[in-house]
Amino acid sequence: MSLTKTLHPDEKFKAGKLGSNMVKAGVGLFVVMMVISLILGSMHGDSMKRFLYAYVIGWSWIATIPIGMLWLVLLHHLCRGRWTTVVRRICEVMAAAIPMVFVAGLGFALPVVFGNKTLYYWTADVAHNALLNPTIVHKLSWLSPSFWFVRYLAYGAIYTAISFYFWKKSKEQDESGDPKISDTLRRASGPAMILYAFTTVFLSFDVLMSLSPKWYSTIYGVTFWGSGNIGAFAALALIVLWIQRNGRLVHSVTEEHYHDIGKWMFTFTFFWAYTAFSQFMLQWYGNLPEETVWYKYRLFGDWQWVSIAVLVGYWAFPFLFLMSRWTKRIVPALVFFAVWQLVFHWLDLYWTAMPNYDWTTVSHGGQTLVEGPLANQIALHHVGFTPLDVTVWLALVGFLLVGIGRGLTGNLIPVKDPTLGLSLAHEQL
Amino acid sequence: MATEDQKETPVPDASTEPRSPEDTGDASGKHGTAGELYGYLAEYDTPGELTEAARKIKDAGFTEFDCYSPFPVHGIDPAMGIKRTILPLIVFGGGFAGAVGGMLLQWYCNAHAWTWNISGKPTWSIPANIPIAYECGILLSVFASFFGMWALNKLPQVWHPLFRSDRFSRVTDDGFFLGVEAKDKRFDAEKTKAILHDAGAIAIEPVHFDPDPSKKVMPKWIMALIVASTAFALIPFAIAAKARNSHSSEPHYHIFPDMDFQPKFKADTANDNFADGRSNRSELVGAVARGWLEEDTSFYDGLTAEAGGQWIDGFPALYPDVPNIVPALRGTAFAIDKKLLARGQNRFNIYCTPCHGYDGRGMGMVPTRVQQSGGSWQARNLVDRAGTVVQQPNGQLFNTITNGFPPGMMGYGAQIPAADRWAIVAYVRALERSQIASADDQKGSR
Repeated sequence: MSLTKTLHPDEKFKAGKLGSNMVKAGVGLFVVMMVISLILGSMHGDSMKRFLYAYVIGWSWIATIPIGMLWLVLLHHLCRGRWTTVVRRICEVMAAAIPMVFVAGLGFALPVVFGNKTLYYWTADVAHNALLNPTIVHKLSWLSPSFWFVRYLAYGAIYTAISFYFWKKSKEQDESGDPKISDTLRRASGPAMILYAFTTVFLSFDVLMSLSPKWYSTIYGVTFWGSGNIGAFAALALIVLWIQRNGRLVHSVTEEHYHDIGKWMFTFTFFWAYTAFSQFMLQWYGNLPEETVWYKYRLFGDWQWVSIAVLVGYWAFPFLFLMSRWTKRIVPALVFFAVWQLVFHWLDLYWTAMPNYDWTTVSHGGQTLVEGPLANQIALHHVGFTPLDVTVWLALVGFLLVGIGRGLTGNLIPVKDPTLGLSLAHEQL
Repeated sequence: MATEDQKETPVPDASTEPRSPEDTGDASGKHGTAGELYGYLAEYDTPGELTEAARKIKDAGFTEFDCYSPFPVHGIDPAMGIKRTILPLIVFGGGFAGAVGGMLLQWYCNAHAWTWNISGKPTWSIPANIPIAYECGILLSVFASFFGMWALNKLPQVWHPLFRSDRFSRVTDDGFFLGVEAKDKRFDAEKTKAILHDAGAIAIEPVHFDPDPSKKVMPKWIMALIVASTAFALIPFAIAAKARNSHSSEPHYHIFPDMDFQPKFKADTANDNFADGRSNRSELVGAVARGWLEEDTSFYDGLTAEAGGQWIDGFPALYPDVPNIVPALRGTAFAIDKKLLARGQNRFNIYCTPCHGYDGRGMGMVPTRVQQSGGSWQARNLVDRAGTVVQQPNGQLFNTITNGFPPGMMGYGAQIPAADRWAIVAYVRALERSQIASADDQKGSR
């Protein structure tokens, strides 16, 4: 029994054709689903509003996965991670899909900046009406389409710079085996983590929270990140398993490592619920109209069933079962919950974004004005799920697979990382 | 790992390898050998060797043995053949009981035993109860894990035969030990020693029970301390129980008498020092604080100065030079400028819009809600060309803000200082102008 191990002599740790296979599957999925989505979306005849809402939800889903993996890479260096080393290259590759994700995001970002006024209420002309929207006008210098787009590009650039830096340096170590590279990355990880936190919070404000610009919440970014990391760790478990099924890393990644991935899934399942409840609790108790309106349209009418589904499906059920050691160590059980949480991660984003879809009109001073989201009667406020939601989501999943697959080349494991031996011998107490 | 070389040397037990002058082995050590044999204590050099030794002892069929190390050793549990602990189940039970108990506590206190109406809030409400239930769940799961660990490890254990070995004291520093008990069915003085040695022990020594039977039980003074502190902890409960069930003519016990009895007169108490026999001194009728005489009738009342004055039509000429006006404005000319209108707009939006609306048409949130619930009321339209407000002199509008317009509107004199009320008047006039401007106004503005 020893505390370190060396790579198993029979281990296959080269990606080979895995990456190109993933890219092929991704391109196929994207093309087929996007064609269907565009047809379905244009059939709605609403200036693609329904399509854009489905797109923002699907995009948030694919964005949170590399963003969450980037966090794991930073955390690994920040606290000298051990168990992570065997899967860190896969995390780095997933994080390096971020530029592709931000390219995919142009699908909704470009319409916003080029004058489509159906997605964000703050792009609509009536948002500038100070009498009707006294709570929005002062935010419009921040929420202007061009400034918003500049920020969107900045978020993508910051994430890309961090993820590529950590990925490149790690691959450099594969060649040179220089342990000083680990020290360099450790020093870089602190500032990078701070930058990462601000970027993630403001990304969530700009892309998802600004769908309901009258609403206030300061914990929103944290909740978004917590929910995203559930999806990210679930995706990591599935991708690692897929790589093992293709004969790679079979000896290196053991149930001990799956156990840790499962622990993180469990952690964020609870963390998300904790922050989401904190937000609900304070807004419900404070009972201020500009805050409770967000929940009013989610807790009454059709949407209450989605709220209950999110509460039970995204928190209670997985929380209860992921608590057990065995759910995390028996790979089929972990895979079940990974798939489950990925689906419910999507439902959570749907629940966050979609109630803002219905904009209502009011008659004001002889004019008919669009009053924006969260204003119509609860009885008229429906869930309105369409196949479009799924097809756009799957198309964007295809895009994410292309992004990840492009990076899956060379070593699947940081072969000369000084902590690799400890990671290979990792055991849970 | 033991090499062939080491195997040929005699068993390196404590007697051949004294660690200190006092520790000369089992025969003449300070603890002696008198007393029943407890078992063997073997020391290993590394956690890895300890784990291997444990595996060998387990494979040889031993059950009564244990490993001792300064820190948790990975992989030693399967090597020793230890089943997984049931502690997680205990913690789950504790956490569950805590969460449910926290809920029940709140139900009993708030909704059952002592219901109390606080601002009309419900006495039983799940969202409000979750934080307490959550904290109780955390508290009890932590207690369950801490005390459950103690119980499963049979702690506290103040006495153990191994404590008699000087070598064993290094177990909290850098020593890795394996102890095999003599009560194990497989125990055999020579064979067991050989197994331990073959597994690479750097030292093996027999350990004996203390011949003094009193050392096997909890020391009396600890038992006495536990009994005494338990009894002591019950005293507050006993005092509370006595107080609840008895009557006394003695005065209250005061823990902080100088806080309870302060050398001052409290309001609403009797006092012989004053003619009216009361402690509190009320204001003299007609007394006015310095600077609050409000003698400028145009500024404070909107009236001209003469007796039976008329509403003033314009604005006051000056801000009074008195302390209740902000220093920057004291005694300065009343200027109708952008700053004043901005202040007026700000105050108007805070105090007036709930009823009159942002545009002054009388459809703020309150009348909107009234009409949504079937009523027809709306607040007065401030900007209606034919309405009364437009026709009123400024002084009268100021007076309405100050004293209200019963029964619909209460006065705002108490909330809004006079200077701000004038700013609101100016802003209302600007609002009117924006709504009822004529074509000439537009030309003039260019």
